[in-house]
Amino acid sequence: MKKIAIFLAFGLWMACTDAAWAALRVDIYGPGQNIVNLALATPIKGAQNEAAGMGQNLQQLVEQNLNILPFMRLTSPKAVLGGTLMAGYEPPNFDFKRFQLAGSDIVVTTFWPDGDSGTKTVQMRAFETNTGGRLFGKVYERVTSKDLPEVADRFCADLLEVLTGNGAFFRSTLAFVKKTGIMSANVWLVKPTGRDLRQITNMPGEALSPAWSPDGRFVVFSHIDPKSHALGIWDHSNGKVQRIRFPGNVVIGPAFMPDNKVAVALSNGKYPVIFQLNHVFQKERVLEQSDAINVSPTFDRTGTKMAFTSSRLGGPQIFLKDLGSGSITRVSKNGSYNTEANLSHDGTLVVYSRMTDFGHRIFVQDMITGAERQISFGPGSDEQPSFCADSYFIAFASSRGGGRGIYLTTRHGGDAKQVPTGGGLAAFPRWSMPAAQK
Amino acid sequence: MKRFALILSLVMALAAGFGCAKKTADSYDDGLTPEMRAAIQQITDARVYFAFDKFDIKPEYKDLLRNKADLIKKYASIRVRIEGNCDERGTQEYNLALGERRARAAYEYLVTLGVNPGQLEMISYGKENPAVQGSGESAWSKNRRDDFRVVAH
Repeated sequence: MKKIAIFLAFGLWMACTDAAWAALRVDIYGPGQNIVNLALATPIKGAQNEAAGMGQNLQQLVEQNLNILPFMRLTSPKAVLGGTLMAGYEPPNFDFKRFQLAGSDIVVTTFWPDGDSGTKTVQMRAFETNTGGRLFGKVYERVTSKDLPEVADRFCADLLEVLTGNGAFFRSTLAFVKKTGIMSANVWLVKPTGRDLRQITNMPGEALSPAWSPDGRFVVFSHIDPKSHALGIWDHSNGKVQRIRFPGNVVIGPAFMPDNKVAVALSNGKYPVIFQLNHVFQKERVLEQSDAINVSPTFDRTGTKMAFTSSRLGGPQIFLKDLGSGSITRVSKNGSYNTEANLSHDGTLVVYSRMTDFGHRIFVQDMITGAERQISFGPGSDEQPSFCADSYFIAFASSRGGGRGIYLTTRHGGDAKQVPTGGGLAAFPRWSMPAAQK
Repeated sequence: MKRFALILSLVMALAAGFGCAKKTADSYDDGLTPEMRAAIQQITDARVYFAFDKFDIKPEYKDLLRNKADLIKKYASIRVRIEGNCDERGTQEYNLALGERRARAAYEYLVTLGVNPGQLEMISYGKENPAVQGSGESAWSKNRRDDFRVVAH
């Protein structure tokens, strides 16, 4: 009897914990994505003592990050009766009620125990306002003002992971190309938040289609100069760029497979063929060929599924190949011109661009239900969609702002947000794969 | 007076030097006979145009290619690069493949007419190297093309 009581008590405790947890989960993958209201308590360095230096800057960076999340609504400090400056940073010196009354589901506290100037430690915590239960807490040591963006990204990645099960967005870096003229473009990197913008290649000619290796060491890209196509390879470990030529005339749309090998369309007779290269970038085997154009391979995280563009039925359409069985299924069933497929890392969705009378638009095909959904509506032309490793966020290039720029949306569509890329025409966004780098 | 004469002679010498340079430039010696120069002009001037998302050679361009083939065969030292191009409507990766098919269509036609494949090379610029800026069919139709460039002679 005593044993049963203990089991019951344990079961009840587990159920309560799960209930609280379930209330805070955000199902970003389902159709009915819920909204989370989040408040940021004023950062403090002591009781009622506001941290106004680095504390303020970090607060702004976190706020900017969270504003990108479509399911996150930040509570205005004005909506919190009594204000957001608190006596403490955790219970019992923290009044959750005022945040509850403001409609916040979560409150984030930031505490700088030794002040917030110079090189200091900062503690950040996220609480569920209804129960006062802590979702998670992190300590960041030896933080200088230069480190604040990274602290903001790391905290937001952890928060995202707690809420959705995947924090890849804030851990990712986008590779993209910036065009400076006809036949002139180089590869750049930027965080999806617009921070850490930098150029990684500086070559005459045009770079296209950058792609990250799963381990984050390489970015490969097509490179065209007036005389030839080549595979460009940027090595993060030494910053050097190689240009590798292949027999034939084309090097199109390279992509890394999960085992760090590259797949790329190369000439082989009349039509481009999708080859797998070995670790030293030599042809290893044919992944797909037919009497038609076959280009733009893209893989799920297991490397067993490959989506690609093929003209085997006349105009370009998207197909999915099971690399184990060799079976091929047609993915895009509407429209006469579908290209630039990108397979989600979980292999359940294919995103691609379709030519319409009003320019290209982005569509998502659900491989489980077979349903297709348009997720971008212009104006201008929306192209080159690319899934984040979380299979939720999608980056794409669009001319909606006049010149081409990089925008973010999600698998559900919705308002697109532009990624600041420092001016100039930006295209071909491709995500790093932080989950594989862990 | 002596100094003036010296400066004058220097200026005259310099002028003579520039004159020589100009003369050399005017009579640019590229080793070409006038006939060969005219042949190169004919090979490079006329382009082959394509329909949207197509790479088959239209009948109206077959005579033009026949003429190019005759000239390339006549001058065995000539090497021609066929550059396949597309209009701005298609997407970049697919257009690189399509441009290659356009270049290859002309290449194969020239080879069937007896041109030595060693005199030909191909490249695709996709839609990255438009001949004409702008949107609309009048610009697009001029950009869906093969260019022919003599890269050695």
